[in-house]
Amino acid sequence: MTLRVAYTYETDITKATAALKTQLKPERAKWVLYFAASRFDPQHTAAAMSKAFDGATVVGCTTAGELTSGKMLKHSIVAMLLDDDELELVAAEVATPIKDGVESVRQALGRLGQQLGKPISKLGNTDYVGLVLTDGMSGAEEEVMATLTQHCSIPFVGGSAGDDLKFQQTFVSLNGTAHSNATLLVILKPKHGFEILKTQSFKAQTQTLVATDVDEPNRTVRAFNGKPAAAEYARVLGIAQEALASAFMQHPLGLMVDEEPFVRSPQQLKGDAVVFYCAVKKGMELRLLDGTDIVADTSQALAETQARGPIRGLINFHCILRTLGLEANRQTDAYGKLFSAIPTIGFSTYGEAYIGHINQTSTMLVLR
Amino acid sequence: MSGRIHQLIDQVIQVRTHGNPSMQHFVRVQLLLQGIDPTKFSPQSPDDPAIEAKLQEMLKSLT
Repeated sequence: MTLRVAYTYETDITKATAALKTQLKPERAKWVLYFAASRFDPQHTAAAMSKAFDGATVVGCTTAGELTSGKMLKHSIVAMLLDDDELELVAAEVATPIKDGVESVRQALGRLGQQLGKPISKLGNTDYVGLVLTDGMSGAEEEVMATLTQHCSIPFVGGSAGDDLKFQQTFVSLNGTAHSNATLLVILKPKHGFEILKTQSFKAQTQTLVATDVDEPNRTVRAFNGKPAAAEYARVLGIAQEALASAFMQHPLGLMVDEEPFVRSPQQLKGDAVVFYCAVKKGMELRLLDGTDIVADTSQALAETQARGPIRGLINFHCILRTLGLEANRQTDAYGKLFSAIPTIGFSTYGEAYIGHINQTSTMLVLR
Repeated sequence: MSGRIHQLIDQVIQVRTHGNPSMQHFVRVQLLLQGIDPTKFSPQSPDDPAIEAKLQEMLKSLT
């Protein structure tokens, strides 16, 4: 078995990649995944990582914070290496541009099919899994995910790249080149199976908000239940409209599938309208959510996953809003320790991917 | 006219799942994320060109 994880705080990219190489021992590396803080130049990082792990497929992205086994980090690089014992195959393509339409994603899926020797639509959803990393400033995640789910039977999991809350430019990278305005698609065929874990820390309340007037391209809801959006949101929450923005983090909205929320997080108020971090479609029926304990809920989710079988490795796409919540509650150490015994890397994202684009969630690829 | 949305939802589910029951949850979430709750539409539901267009677009990409 060769699945290793590593991290470094070295500031010089040459020293940083050397440190990662020493820890990862890449003699038979097939795939290397890395997440790098925005203080590292994305192009230099991509080139240095590709050179350090020559012969492997090397992919990564910029972050708003990193995770590894036992630790939540900042301003670091974390990396995971898998070899032939872990992966039967890996194929990767970058789709760019994505901001004004996602024809590039359809083309990238076609190229992936050529690499794999069969159309992507024919891949079995129990053998193959997709990983998707998208420019977190592109605003294109919904279209990217809709295209992937419409053209593929395999599940895709991932997140939106970050830039340490500067909200200027984020990058994904493949084999030595970093790209903005892009999404990175990776198809994996793990040898020992996989599972996707989606966990969020909210309890759904009974109150419902139906989006009745929506500016979909701008992720903005003008009216809930036929009334001005901000006023109605505040009313169902039982608070004054002036206090609404400060309640967003603890009380986002959930698109309920059975009893599981797909979280839609409000970002800001614009007059009487509410702007979200992800799409809210006209007619969507959303439930009010109450925040619960992230550490306790994640611990339980991991325990349930481990009860179904051992975990060889884990990649955690962890919402930056969850990271901010953990920081506010001084729980980052406790959260990191949940992954002490599991070879883990992850990063704080600008949005999480699983079937669609979601918020305030951790989506995790669990390698069995 | 009525029932067109229900009919299109059935077609999307049929084409998308290829009859595989394990895909049904996946497709249901996909529809919900597009703002279409399959449980809200019956053969008696009135037609709605906007929703029908969304479903037609989904079908087009699947075939």
